[in-house]
Amino acid sequence: MITVRLFASLREQAGWGERSLAITPDSPSPTPANLWPQLGLGAAIPPQVRVAVNQAFSALDQPLQSGDEVAFLPPISGG
Amino acid sequence: MAHPSAEERPLQLRLHPARFDPLSSLADWQRNLTAGGAEAPAAEAHFIGRVRGRTAHGAPIEALELEHYPGMTEAQIERIAAAISRRHGLLAARVDHRVGRVLPGETIVLVAVAADRRGPAQRGGQELLEALKHEAPFWKREWCGGVGTWVEGNTAF
Repeated sequence: MITVRLFASLREQAGWGERSLAITPDSPSPTPANLWPQLGLGAAIPPQVRVAVNQAFSALDQPLQSGDEVAFLPPISGG
Repeated sequence: MAHPSAEERPLQLRLHPARFDPLSSLADWQRNLTAGGAEAPAAEAHFIGRVRGRTAHGAPIEALELEHYPGMTEAQIERIAAAISRRHGLLAARVDHRVGRVLPGETIVLVAVAADRRGPAQRGGQELLEALKHEAPFWKREWCGGVGTWVEGNTAF
């Protein structure tokens, strides 16, 4: 299983903030980019969305393993 | 007495779910810096940011809501502060940041850094603040007239 988390505007757009996705042995190696179409948020990750894997910024094509937490982050506005 | 390095005096980080007094935070940090009789650092730079009362379009703001990513927000601020401390030779750093609902006029962020010279203190403090704004996972929502709007991006420098 992979835990997917959404924040702020993405969470509200999707209507959920956390979901577990099963990895099937015959599916291609999961990455944030190829999980995205399963989230109901459109076909491709918008360019302003950043990805974190296990709570650190990550590349869109980072291979994911069971137990990983992947988060999709809309543009940051802190401070 | 020699100053400890930033590695020996790591970042002090506080995320506040309720209103905080930045001057009390600063005093707490400064007491910590001189604990055990250590000499106070020669240079400090401080920044206090407060919630402004109007949006970029001039509408009055009722409140600002700040969402964060518990765990990653703290880890990311630690990574940012460690890198900036190494780059500028900072002696210590302190970050306080609000989360949750923040009212106009309330403090949203405090950044304080200590160094041996004013240049590293001011440059390091500015860099830490800008990194917080762009690289630490916080999201602001402005509430006006009962309607919340996510803020995408930051105000002008």
